[in-house]
Amino acid sequence: MLKRYKNIGLSFLVIFLGLFAIYLVSSVRPDIMFRSIALSAFGSIYGLTETLTKSIPLMLCGLGLSLSFRSSVWNIGAEGQLLMGAVGATWIALYIMPNAPKFLLIPAMFLVGAICGGMWALIPAVLKVKFNLNEIIVSLMLNYIAIEFVNYLVYGPWKSPYEWGFPYSTKFPESAQLPRILDTRVHYPTLILALILAVILYIILYRSKLGYEIRVIGDSIDAARYAGLDIHRVVFLVLLLGGGLAGLAGVGEVAGIHHRLRVASGISSGYGYTAVIVAWLGRLNPLLIVLVSFLFGGLLVGGDAIQVSLGLPGSTINFINGLILIFVLVQGFSKTRFSTIKRRGGK
Amino acid sequence: MRSKFLVVLSLVLLFVLTVNTVNGVGAEKKLRVAFIYVGPIGDYGWSHAHEMARQSLIKKLPWVEFLPPAESVPEADVIRFIDRFVREEKADVIFTTSFGYMDATIEAGKKYPDKIFFHCSGYSRSKNVGTYFAELYQIYYLNGLMAGALTKTNKVGYVGAHPIPEVIRHINAFALGVQEVNPKATVDVRWLFSWYDPSKARMAAESLISDGCDVLAFTEDSPTVVTVGEEYTKKGKPVYTFGHYSPMQKYGPNSCVSGQLVHWEVIYRDILEKIRRKVYTNTNLENVDYWWLLKEKAVELGGEFGVPINPKFIPALKDKKITDPVFGKISVYDLVMKRLSQMKANPEKFDPFTGPIKDQTGKVRIEAGRRASHDELWNMDWFVSNVIAKIPK
Repeated sequence: MLKRYKNIGLSFLVIFLGLFAIYLVSSVRPDIMFRSIALSAFGSIYGLTETLTKSIPLMLCGLGLSLSFRSSVWNIGAEGQLLMGAVGATWIALYIMPNAPKFLLIPAMFLVGAICGGMWALIPAVLKVKFNLNEIIVSLMLNYIAIEFVNYLVYGPWKSPYEWGFPYSTKFPESAQLPRILDTRVHYPTLILALILAVILYIILYRSKLGYEIRVIGDSIDAARYAGLDIHRVVFLVLLLGGGLAGLAGVGEVAGIHHRLRVASGISSGYGYTAVIVAWLGRLNPLLIVLVSFLFGGLLVGGDAIQVSLGLPGSTINFINGLILIFVLVQGFSKTRFSTIKRRGGK
Repeated sequence: MRSKFLVVLSLVLLFVLTVNTVNGVGAEKKLRVAFIYVGPIGDYGWSHAHEMARQSLIKKLPWVEFLPPAESVPEADVIRFIDRFVREEKADVIFTTSFGYMDATIEAGKKYPDKIFFHCSGYSRSKNVGTYFAELYQIYYLNGLMAGALTKTNKVGYVGAHPIPEVIRHINAFALGVQEVNPKATVDVRWLFSWYDPSKARMAAESLISDGCDVLAFTEDSPTVVTVGEEYTKKGKPVYTFGHYSPMQKYGPNSCVSGQLVHWEVIYRDILEKIRRKVYTNTNLENVDYWWLLKEKAVELGGEFGVPINPKFIPALKDKKITDPVFGKISVYDLVMKRLSQMKANPEKFDPFTGPIKDQTGKVRIEAGRRASHDELWNMDWFVSNVIAKIPK
C-alpha cells in the first residue's frame, strides 16, 4: 500500500519537474500550455474532428494490444502490424480488384488488411511458442522490417509511374477511398468499426471462456497451466486478433487519409507505439481504451497548437508524452501488483 | 465670418487628408506568412537553411508578419498544421517545405481557395498552389571537378539520402564533374533512405572510406560526413569532403574543400514581393514554378558564405592541370572559376548536362550537343557511366 502511494508521489514529482523545466526553458506557464492544448483539441468543432481522426488508429491498435497485454503477451509490434495492414489494403485496391465496386472493394481491403496485420503478428507468436523466443524483441524488430518493406514497395515495385519518380504508389481509385464526414478527415467507417469491435472485445474479455482464459493466463501463468488451459492457443489468438486490429488501423489510414501507399513515416507517426501508452492508460479495458484514445488523440492534436501558437519547440509534446509514459509505467506496475493481491484476497 | 469658415474648412480638409494618409500607410494589412518544416530547425541542413532565410527576411520585409514556424512536422500530420495556421493564426501565405507535403498542400489549396500556398520541391500545382526549388546540380558539378582533381585513389564516394530524381540528378552532376577532370575515377554511392540520420550517415561515410574512397560528397541534413572526413584527415588519412546546404567548413577546416550553399531568401523574397504587388494571387499560380539556379543567385558555391573554395586546397587545385577541348591546358582551379562564371551568366553559357552523356549501360541518354530538358532532369532515374552503384529498384 505504502509503496504504491510512494510511486504515485514519485511519478507526480517527475511530471511537475518536467513541466517546470519547460517553463524555465521557454517561460510559457504550464497552465497556459495545457489550456492551449485542451482548447485546440476539444475547444472547437474542427479540433474535435481532428482529435477524433487521430483517435481512430490509436483506438484500433490500443484495443488489439490490450488483449495480448491482458494475457501477459508483450506485443510491441502494433506499428509494423498497422503498416502491413496498409500494404494489404493497397495490394487489393491497386492490384487485385481495382475495378470492383465500392461496396465490395472496401470490405475486401479491411479484410485483407486485417489478415496481413494478423499474419505479421503470428510471426512472434510462432517463434514464442515453438522456440521460446521473447516476443518483445521479435515484435519490435518486425516493426523495422515492416517499415523497410513499405519503403521498398514505394521505392521499388509499387512506385507509381505517374509521380515523377517520387516514392508514392498510384492514387487509389475513388471506389477504394473511404467516405469522410463533410470536409473533415473523419473516415467514419473505420471509426464505427472500431467502436463495434471495442464492444465485442469487451464482451469477449469479460463474458466469454476465451476472455476468462486470457485473464487467468495474464494473472498467473502457473495457475493457468495448473488449470490445464491451452496457453499456446491463447497466445496465438491474442496476437492474431491484436495484429488484425492494428492492420485495420493501417487500412483506415491509407484508405481514409492518404489514398495511397507512401513511405512508412508518412503513413503512421508512431501510432503503434503511442497505442502502448493508450492501452495501459485505459487499464486494458476495451471501453476505457476508446475514451483514452480520444483523450490521447487530443493531446497529439493539441501538441501542434503549442508549437504554432505558443512558439514552443516541436519536441515539447514528445517530452510531455514521455512524462505521461513514465507516469503510466510507475502507476501500471504498482497497480498490477496491487490488484493481483487484492483479487487473491478478495475473490 | 467667411474667413473663419475657410479656416475651419481647410483645417477639416487637412485633418481628413492626414488621417487618410496615415490610414493609407497603416492600412496595409500585414501579410501573415507561415512556414512548415519537416526536420528540426537545428538539423543544420535543409530545414535550417529555410529557417535562416525566414529570419533574414524578418527585418527586410517589414510588411510581412512572420508567424512562428512549425518544425519536425510529420508528413502524416501536415494538413492539421496547415489547418491551424489558416484557422487560428489567420495565415495568408503558407510555405510547405518538404516533398512529402505535396498531396496535403494541394488538398489544403482546395479547402482554402482564398489563401496562397507554395510547396517546395514538388510538381503538383493548382490555381492557388505554386512550387519552388533552389536547384544545386550546377554546384555539385563544380564540386565534382574538384573531387576528381583531389582523389588519389581514383575512388570518390557519395552518401545519398533517398534514391529520388533530385538526389540522382545531383549524384550525376557530381560524377560528370569528376569525369571531366579524371576519366579514370569512379563514384560509389551509399543510400540512407532518410533525409536526416547522422548515425547512418557516419556508417555510410566510413563504409565508403573503407572501400578506398578518399573524397566524399553527400545529401543529408547534418555535417556528419564532413566531421568524419575531418577525423580521418587529422589521423593522417586525408578524406576530403563537400559541405551540403549550410556552411559546414567550420566542421572540417582540413577536410571540407567546398560545398553547396542555398539562398532560399532570394526565392522567398521574390514570391512575397510578387504576392504584395498582386502579381501572384490565389487564382493564377497554376504555372508558377521556381527552378532557380546560379544565375538567379539562389545557390552559391562554397563551404562558407563568400568562400567558394577553402584556401587550403587552392594550391593543389592550381597544380592539377588538364586539357580542355575549348580552354586548352588549364588548371582545375581556373576551370572551376570559368565554369562558375559561365553558369552565372544569363542565359547560361554552359550546362553540365550537355550531351553526349552515356548511362551505366553505355546507352546515350543525352545526344551530343543537346542540353537535358527540365523534364529529363526532373525524371532522372539512371546513373551516368562512371557511377558504379545501382539505383534501388
